Formats: sequence, structure tokens, C-alpha cells
Amino acid sequence: MKFYIDNLPIIFPYDRIYPEQYAYMCDLKRTLDATGHCVLEMPSGTGKTVSLLSLIVSYQQFYPTKRKLVYCSRTVPEIEKALAELKRLMAYRMKCAETEEERQKEQNFMGLGLTSRKNLCINPTVAKEKKGKVVDAKCRDLTNSAACEKGRADPGSVELCDWHENLGKLDPGNLIPSGIWTLEDVLDYGREKVICPYFTVRRMMAFADIIIYSFHYLLDPKVAEQVSKDLSKDAIVVFDEAHNIDNVCIESLSIDLTRPMLDSASRSIVKLGERIEEIKTTDAAKLQDEYAKLVEGLQDDDANADDEDVVMGNPVLPDDLLSEAIPGNIRKAEHFVAFLKRFVEYLKTRMRVLHVVAETPLSFLQHLKDITYIERRPLRFCAERLQSLIRTLELNRLDEYSSLQKIASFATLVATYEKGFLLILEPFETDTATVPNPVFHFTCLDPSLAIKPVFERFSSVVITSGTISPLDMYPKMLQFTPVVQETYPMTLTRNAFLPLVITRGSDQVAISSRFEVRNDPAVVRNFGSILVEYSKIVPDGIVAFFPSYLYMESIVAAWNDMGILNEVWKHKLIFVETPDANETSIALENYRRACDNGRGAVLLSVARGKVSEGIDFDHNYGRAVIMFGVPYQYTESRILKARLEYLRDAYRIRESEFLGFDAMRNAAQCVGRVLRGKTDWGLMVFADKRFARADKRSKLPRWINQYITETASNLSTDMALTLSKLFMRTISQNPNENQTGVSLWTLEDVEKAQAKQKELALQAEQNAGSDDDEYGDGGLSDNALMDFDLDV
Amino acid sequence: MPTLVCTAKASCKKLPGLLELTDTHLQWTQDGKRAPSIRVSFKEANSLFCSKEGAPQVRLKIGLLGNDVGHNFTFTSPQPVASQEREKFKQELTPIIARNKQLDAKPPILAAPQPVPPASVAAAPLASGNAPRLPPAVAAAAGPSFQSHSRAASVAAMDRRGTPVITGGDPAAEFRLRKKVLMNNPELGALHRDLVMTGQITEAEFWDGREHLLLAQQAAESQRKGKSGQLVDPRPETVEGGEIKIRITPQLVHDIFDEYPVVQKAYSENVPQNLSEAQFWQRYFQSKLFNAHRASIRSSAAQHVVKDDPIFDKYLERDDDGIEPRRERSEKPDLFVDLGATNEDHGELTVERDITMQAGRQKGALPLIRKFNEHSERLLNSALGDLPPIKRRRLDDGAEVFHQIEIEDLQDGESSNGIVLEMADRQRYFEGGVAGSTNKGAANGQQLDPKAIISESRNSLSDWEATLSGLKIERLAGDSALRSMTQNVAARLDVRSKNNDIPIGIFTQMTTCQTAANEFLRQYWSATLPQPPELQTAATATPAQRAAKAVKMIGYLAKTPEKVAAIVMQAQSSNVDAAKVEMAMKPVLESVNRAIAYHQTREAASIQRRK
Repeated sequence: MKFYIDNLPIIFPYDRIYPEQYAYMCDLKRTLDATGHCVLEMPSGTGKTVSLLSLIVSYQQFYPTKRKLVYCSRTVPEIEKALAELKRLMAYRMKCAETEEERQKEQNFMGLGLTSRKNLCINPTVAKEKKGKVVDAKCRDLTNSAACEKGRADPGSVELCDWHENLGKLDPGNLIPSGIWTLEDVLDYGREKVICPYFTVRRMMAFADIIIYSFHYLLDPKVAEQVSKDLSKDAIVVFDEAHNIDNVCIESLSIDLTRPMLDSASRSIVKLGERIEEIKTTDAAKLQDEYAKLVEGLQDDDANADDEDVVMGNPVLPDDLLSEAIPGNIRKAEHFVAFLKRFVEYLKTRMRVLHVVAETPLSFLQHLKDITYIERRPLRFCAERLQSLIRTLELNRLDEYSSLQKIASFATLVATYEKGFLLILEPFETDTATVPNPVFHFTCLDPSLAIKPVFERFSSVVITSGTISPLDMYPKMLQFTPVVQETYPMTLTRNAFLPLVITRGSDQVAISSRFEVRNDPAVVRNFGSILVEYSKIVPDGIVAFFPSYLYMESIVAAWNDMGILNEVWKHKLIFVETPDANETSIALENYRRACDNGRGAVLLSVARGKVSEGIDFDHNYGRAVIMFGVPYQYTESRILKARLEYLRDAYRIRESEFLGFDAMRNAAQCVGRVLRGKTDWGLMVFADKRFARADKRSKLPRWINQYITETASNLSTDMALTLSKLFMRTISQNPNENQTGVSLWTLEDVEKAQAKQKELALQAEQNAGSDDDEYGDGGLSDNALMDFDLDV
Repeated sequence: MPTLVCTAKASCKKLPGLLELTDTHLQWTQDGKRAPSIRVSFKEANSLFCSKEGAPQVRLKIGLLGNDVGHNFTFTSPQPVASQEREKFKQELTPIIARNKQLDAKPPILAAPQPVPPASVAAAPLASGNAPRLPPAVAAAAGPSFQSHSRAASVAAMDRRGTPVITGGDPAAEFRLRKKVLMNNPELGALHRDLVMTGQITEAEFWDGREHLLLAQQAAESQRKGKSGQLVDPRPETVEGGEIKIRITPQLVHDIFDEYPVVQKAYSENVPQNLSEAQFWQRYFQSKLFNAHRASIRSSAAQHVVKDDPIFDKYLERDDDGIEPRRERSEKPDLFVDLGATNEDHGELTVERDITMQAGRQKGALPLIRKFNEHSERLLNSALGDLPPIKRRRLDDGAEVFHQIEIEDLQDGESSNGIVLEMADRQRYFEGGVAGSTNKGAANGQQLDPKAIISESRNSLSDWEATLSGLKIERLAGDSALRSMTQNVAARLDVRSKNNDIPIGIFTQMTTCQTAANEFLRQYWSATLPQPPELQTAATATPAQRAAKAVKMIGYLAKTPEKVAAIVMQAQSSNVDAAKVEMAMKPVLESVNRAIAYHQTREAASIQRRK
């Protein structure tokens, strides 16, 4: 359908539209017009992505400024889905185009998705590698400019990648025809034309109207520097599924060091030293050149570096990039190697301590200086200097140097930031462990640090998700001021989902995943009987989420011993999330087959785990979600404790408030996966007595909370079953009433709503303008009535 | 014709005879006699008992529904043959009885015998000590037919389009189906006896319009019972003396081989050269291999009773409890569910998850979890065939990707074609319509003045409060409505409180008369009225045939009033309230008369047309 918001023509690729979607688009447009940031919460499964893309593409195509859209999502399945959504939208726009000119315009529109080399490589010798790190390293060996130069000058002397070479023969701005390319499409095209999909996308990014990739490409400075450097300031940045954005921010600036890592780094340093000696005898001029360059400064060097040549990103944020020259004491290659060696040895000594240490970066630097005389300034340039050295030495198989790179990043970060970070040394993995396995955590406590450059650089940043309540938490944590901040209720003509809170088993024993009682046989059995009973009454798929892997694994074993799973086997197949991602994907595919086939299946998985992000359980893939316990974080974690302390001191967010918020957003995220569209239906079972508490429920998104009735908020298993059966009997009936007009709008409904809005605005204006109208009856004035185009 | 499944010489009540198993019955014929003296329909079979292995007499006892004494058969062939024969019978009867027990509470629609599942066929040679047949071979043998079966029977959402086609070319099969439908549905059977066997209507006419029953029966028959979902977990029983006993049945052996191919490998390599069958199982259940297969926490408690076993320990594999599975899976999942791709999307995580969120820390649970996933996959494959996912995906068309992201309710539903409304005197209706529209046109011709309308409506609304207060609702109407409702309730109560005083004999006659008339009516109307388009198949009767049938049916219908009169007479003679009977038969008579009247007008019309 085609309609207008203000003057902007919107093409929406469906015949109807949900009122939420319309409201969402209006608010989004407001944000873009105001060139500000916004936080929008839209119920899961009501077509958030399609509304977002539909509005922004309409915006891009209408205004001549052609603001680029950078759309970030969490997982590859979500990226692929967004691309498919975009492809569908563009196909629809093509169909709607009225003139040849318009069609041409739609045809020239380009959308691309970017992911890692591992996912996009089609060179069989490289792609067969299992680890992404190795794929990256091998790819660099085949494609870096030094190798290419040599290989082209003397064919056969160096192994090169045909797919990459073929790319060089093409016209640089025209590697791939315009249009929308999903990841799968790009791979197919690459196979067909024998060109490298990864570099095709990387090089075409400058020409694309829409780029879809993961959060990290914008938030992680190591990656962002390589990939997202050239994006223009007026680009529209969207973070979809942004409910965990703070964790991504924190992770991208945190580093953990372990003993094996330090050992491996030491080995790499020795190898570096040997290589330097070798080069000195064969090609001493090279090292001289590098030295001269380093004296001049870093910036020029960066400017001519190709995509292929970037060996590692700088972990420091763009605005901290230093324009000064590298300090003298690490300019010479052998000096730098000695410097690294000293630093690694220092870290090794620190690791020998057998008690927990927590310190600030400043105190760490002070201690480092006292012991080893290493100054802060050279430490800061560590990552840059290492990159330059690696390039000069033309090293191969960089994956072997990854530990060293990590330590260099650590050095740079620790020397750059004073606030918002903490160093924690944990000599033992758990409190009960006796064999030390020390981990040196360099942990970022402040999510706003990583996202700050994004807010500063781009004029419109949209943060959106199905579960982002309470809304004011995000601006507080990420330190920005939104111009629009909105949450939408779900309009339904009949309740399409039934949230239930089970607080006790049929035997009236309270159930909870609280640490003290979670392994109590009565609780385990009651959790089990919930699963058994629901597997009896619910058709097709059931998804169950546990608060942690540890708990899921122990409870699965316990259930098996108690014979509970035997009962489940009678009704459904059982699939369980495993540590291995590929194995879990296969289990997921089989789960879906079982749901399609009618056999029905149960999927056991973990909130915050691999499955809970990015996989939808709509329609028959999930008729019920059971949340066993409240998915709190592990509160004994020292890192979490430090973060909570920081949040309290810096932003006045109470510990319990944050923990509750964090648990509920994850729970909501899990249960929200069951819905797609308003004819879809599902049960949402929250099984823990703590869900009954008002402070917990208030943190659920409004669209879920509004449907939890007083009776459904404190149930025993048998009562919940009765309600569920009743619900399923009613929902399976054909809906009698027409949804159209209430929860589903046609074009006329949209226009009606717009007319009404205009009227209200007009009236508000009038009210503001003339004081004597103040005592009016609030109805329509005769004039307004006269303006009505009466349809007789 | 019933087909024989197996036969054996057996004696019953010390009389020698022949025991036969057909596809519907178990029957025993005394030597020298022609007709079987015992005939047990499968539906009646309720339980099965056997004498012990190695007992002097090889006996089989079958218990009947509502009669647990049942029949006792003794197999009279010389020893090894007798027990083999008994085994054969047992295998055939066990699934049937299991099914009967399952369906006990339900109406016996599904109780019709089904083709023997291949699982038991595979198990058969094992019992007699032959080398076990590989399950893949069974799957392959069942392959082609299985495919078509599952399509027809499947209730899967994807296969909804595939409506089963009745086996047209095979009259024997269709006859069998009809018989089964009649047997499962006693009322229909009675009607069939009354009408077809007496020759009033033909067999084909009777089934015309009842094809769906046959289709349903066929679908039910071709639906095979799937494998049970439960894991193979032989539970040891403790007998006196602290000994542990595990019962081994052919089914269990088959399941174990299916679930753990390594045991099958061990079996084929060691039996009977190194170990006897009994030794093999005894040592297996004591071995580490068995304990590894049980893979539960519970098994760790039993660790100390496990003995080292030179033969079985060879087959022991390392526990599958690493972060990565031991068995490498090369297939790449669909990008929409590819979790691995996300892992590789951006460099490695630089931080570790806290210990509760590190998957795979409970080493003991991992083999169990993997076992669940594999077991579920195996069950699915046994039902759906195990195409590799890539191929499976290729079977879907390209639209699948969009299908997954589309929101259906936002699409405008395609309106259905609808059914054309056929009316008498259509012409007149249109005339009326035209007249109406011309009138409307006149009204449209003169411009409506919105102002005038508004002022008019405003005038009419003036003073509305006074009018409203003046409004009075007549009491009479409400009273009468209440009265009629009370009467209705009273009447119903009346009916319920009165006993049904029509004697059984007359009552059955009434029902028979009514069902027969109904059947004739159904036949008549189905021959007269136009057929819905989707039912038009090649076998549809020509118009001439249909007309002939209609005439014939009218003939039968015309006799109905006589029959009713006869019943009324009989009622009078046996002192029953005839008025009541008449009242009861009145609707039937009415519909019969309507049909006759309709027929006559049609006849008259066609005669006129011919003129």
C-alpha cells in the first residue's frame, strides 16, 4: 500500500498495516527530521524490521540527500532476515513504481550485508578451516598487497587467491550489479563469477545505500576502524534488537588474559626477534624505511593502507587516535621486541599471585613503572607499533600471533583509559577450585565509552527492540539524549498470547531458580512436571529456557534420572542446546522438521544463550515458551559486582534495580520469540515464584505486562494447565470478528487516522490561539463539520 | 477373500486341528471339519500368554475381550518347529493386541488390522538365531511403498494438498475397505443389510456419496504406527539373592541394535564364534559399554559392579563430552538458523563468560544431551527419510525464504470464488433490481443539500430529551415473550419427565423405516441436485443414469407412507398411542412428500418443455 506521512510517500509492502507499525513509522520519521537519536520499543513479531526499512527507504528515495542507512543487528540469522526483508520490500517497490524514471531509481538502489571472511569465503583451501581466526590469517596471506605485487610480477612465485585476483580485473565501482544482495545471494554470485564475495562487499560498501552488519562493526573500535571509517556523518544508524547493546559495548573494550595466552605471546616474541635478525641480513633497508616512516608519524601510513593490509585494528576509539609520532624508545624493531618481552614477563609475574586483586588502570601503570620502568606513553602505542612491525616483516599465518596482538591491545587500552575500567586478577576459576587457573580480566565497566563515538559522529541513531523496557534505562546507561522515546502497546482483537506466572507446583511447593532451592528435588520435580504436562496438551513445538547452561545441564541429567524425560518422550521429541554451535543448529533444524511434521518437539535451551538470540519460534515452531526460573546473571561474578558498583556510583542505578531489569529483559526476549503477526498465538509460561512480584513484572515490556491478569499472576501448575487448555480451545476457533480497523488497518483506516490527527492538531492550535474557546463543549465545531466531505 | 498370514498344526481342548491366522481373524479348524470351530476377530483379542521357553508343551493362550478364559492352543509339530511356529504367531498377534489395548477406551474405528510393521519382520530372524539383518536393508525394502503411504496418511501441515486417491483399479481392495467400514460402523452396517442385501438399492448406489468413509478408512489403514519415542533403557529387575535380571525380548534386541550400531557390530563379529547368544547379552549388560550407553548420572553409582571385559572393552568409545562433538557434522545449516555463523561473524570474544554461562561444564550431562539429539533425529528420519538438509532445502522452492519472513495477516486474503446462487425466477429479481435502481437514480438526480439535511436532522433532534422521557415500552409484548419462554421450558420439562412408552419392537421398526427413508431421500436428492464441482470425478454418472436413479428412488419413497401407516396400525393393535407414532414419523413423511411433489413438478415441467 502507499500512503503519506506528512508529505513523504511511504510504500509499505503489504495490503494492510498494524496501527503499531504506523505509529512506529511516524515516530521514526520525526527522529529523522529532527536529526536526533531515539529509543523505540515495539512488540515482538509485529513487523518492526519491515516498518523500519519501509520508512527509511521511502525517506532515502524521496529526499535528494540520499542519507545512507547503516543497519546493525545482533546475529547472522537476523542480518540475513533483514536482507531478505529488504529484498522483498524493493521487489514490491519495483512493482509499485509508476514511471520508468521511478523504476530506474528503484533499480539503482543497492543494499549489502557484511559478515566475516569465515562466512563469506569461497576459496576451498581457505574456507575449509574451522576457525575464523585461521581463515582471516590465510586470507591475508593470499591477498595482502606485498604478496599480490610479488605474485603478479612473477606468476607462480607466491600463492594468490583467484577469487580476489579476478576482483582486481573488474571496474572498481561496479563489482556487482545494483540491487539487494543477501549473504546467500552474494555467495552464489561469487561462485558463479569466480570473485571474492567478502571483498566485493567491502569495496562496494561505499556505493551501497543500505549496509546491514553486526553491532561489532560499529561498536568494536578494532573492527570499526577498518570497516566503518568512511561512513558519512549524515548516515542513519539503526541498532535493531538492541536490548543487549550495553553488553556488546562492554565486551568490545574488555580483554581477558590467561597463562597459556602469555606463553604463546612469549613464543611469538621470540619468533619476531628471529625474523628481525633475518631481515637485517637480507633486507636491512626495509627496517630503515619503517623507522623513517615512524618518525614522520602514523597518519600518513594509515592513509594508503588497503583493506587487505590491515593486520589488526587499534582498540582505541577514533577520537583518541594519536597524531603524534611513535615514541623513540620503541621505534627500532629490536627495541620494541625487547619492550614487549619485558611487558609479557611482568604480566606473567602478576599471574603468580594466589589471591584476588582488583585495581584501577592507574595503579596498574604505577606498579608497572616501579617494577619494569615501562612508561605509559610507549605502552599506548603498542598496538600501532606491532601492526607496523608485522607489515614490515611481511609475516604469514597471523593467527599464530593472535595472543601477542591481544596483549598489545591490552597494553594500549590500559594506558589510554583511566576511568570506567578495572583490572581484576582471579587466580582460581571457582571458589572451590584448588588448582590455579589465573585469568587477568581487563574489564570495561561503562558501556557509554564504546558507543560514544557513534552518537557523536552520526546525526540519527535509532535504538530499537521488542524488549527495551524500562525505556529511560538506556539513555542513562549509554549517556545520550533521545528526541523520541516511545513504547507501543499491542492492539489485539483477541488475546493472541497468554502469559502465565506459575509460582508453585500442583503440590503447592513454591518453585524458584533461586540458588538455595534450585537443586531441591521438589523444585526439580515440579519444574519437570510443568514440562511433562505442557508437552501433553500443547501441539507442535515447545521451547523451554533455563537461566544458565550450568543449570540446564544439571537439570537435564536430574530429569533423566527421575524418569521425567521418559514421560516427555511419550509425547514429543527432545532437543537440547549443546556447547557446539553447529551441532545446535542441526538440532534446531531437526526440531523444526519435527514441528512441521506434526510429531512435535521440545527444545531445551538457555536464556542469553545461542538460541535465545536471533532464532524465531513463530507459529508451529513455538506454541508455548516456558521460562524455568528468572534469568539473573551470576551474581557471584566479580566483574558483575564491579560493574554494579560503577553503575551505582556513576549513574545512580541501584544494584537490585539493574539486576532485575537485566533478568526481565532477557526473560521477555525469550518469550517474545513465539509471536509473528497477530494471527499467531502462543503461551508464555513464567515458572518462578519471583515473577509474581510486582517489581519484577513492572520491568516487563508493556505489551506483555498489559495481558497478565491478576488471576494469571499467581498460579499453581494445575490451575495454569486449566487456563492454558481453555485458552487453546478458544484461540483455535476461527476468529469471528474482523480484525480490520482495530488491530489491522487498511489504507482507508490509515487515512482516517491521519485526518483525525490533523483535526486534533488543528484543534489544539485553535485552542491555543483563541482563549474564548476554552469553555467550549470539546466537540466538533460547526466549521469542522462543514469541512467534512460528506460521502452520500 | 481373507489372506492367510500363517498356519500351524495345533490342538485345542485335546482335539487335533489347524490354527490359522488371516488378516482379520485367528481361526482354528478341527481336523476333518470344513468350517472353523473357533473364530476370533482381531478386535476381540485382548491378551496373549505363552508357555515358557523350553517347557515340554508349546502353548499359546489368547484372552478375549470380556472373557479372560479365552482359548488354549497347543502346537503339535515336533519340537523346534513348534516353538518357531508359536513365535511367528506371537509376533503377529502382539502388535494387534497392543493396539487393541491402546484403543480400548476409544471407539473401535481405528482397530482395523494394519499391515505388520517392518520392525517385527526384522526382529524375526534374530529369534531363530540367524545373523541379524541390518536395519538399513529393512528401510530400503520398505522404501518406495512407505513414501506413498506416509504422504496419504500424514497430517503434516505441509502435505495438506495431497488428498488420497481411492484405489480405483482394485475391486478386491475396495471390497475389503467397504467391509471394514461396515463392520466398524454398526448402524451403517444395519442400513446396508436392510437396503442392499434385500436388493432395494445397488451396492454402487449405496456407496455413492459415501466415498469419504472409504477414504478415511484407507488413510487410517495406511497410517503406520511410528516408533515409540522412548529411549532404549533396559531396566534391570532385582530378583531374590541379589541377582540382577534383564529380560531380553526380540524387540529390545532390535531397539538396542538400532540405537547403538556398535553393539550390532560386536554381535555380528562375536556371535556365535566367540560367544553364544546368551553369553553375549550377559556380558554386554555387565560391560562398561552398556554403562556408557545408559549415559546417565545414575550409572556412575553402578560403576563398581561393572567388570572389565576384553571383548566389549574393544568397542568402548571415548565419552562424547567435549565442547565439540566427536562426530563431525559437515552439513551446513540454513542461514536462518545458523548459529555458528554468528560465532564467526566478528572476531573471537576477548572475554570469557562467567562459569554458569559456559556451556558444557557438566561433563556427565553432555553425552546424554547428545544422545537425546541423536535419538530424536533418528526417530524423525525413520518417519521422514533422512535426506541431507541441503537436498531437503532444494526441494522447497525459492519462495521459502520470503515465506519465513512474511506476515500473513497483513496480506489481503484472496477471496474465494463462492458458490453460484441458483434461484427460481431469477429474471423477476433482476427486474425488481432495475426498477429499484431507476428510482434511486431519480433520487440522486436531485442534488442533496448537506445544509438542509443537517438542519433537518437538527430539527428532528430538538427536544429529544423530552421525547425520551415520554417514551414508554408496552408491557404487553414483554409479558407475552416471557410467557412463551415459560411455556417452552415447561414443555421441555414435560417431555423429559414422561417415559418413553413405545415398545422396543415398534420403536426399532420406526427407526428402520426412518433411516431407510432417509437413505432414499439422500439418494434421490444427490441424483437430482447439481453436484458440487470438487466432487466431480471421472466416475460420475451420466445425466441419464441419474434421472433413472431419481425415478427409482421416488418409487421407493412413494411406498413410505404405506409403511408408516402399517406401523401406526401395528401400534394401535398393541395398544400404544398411535398419535405419538404418527407424530414421530411426521417429519419423515413431510420430507418424503416434499421430494415427491418436487419430482412431480419437475416431471411436468420437462414434459411441457418437450412439448
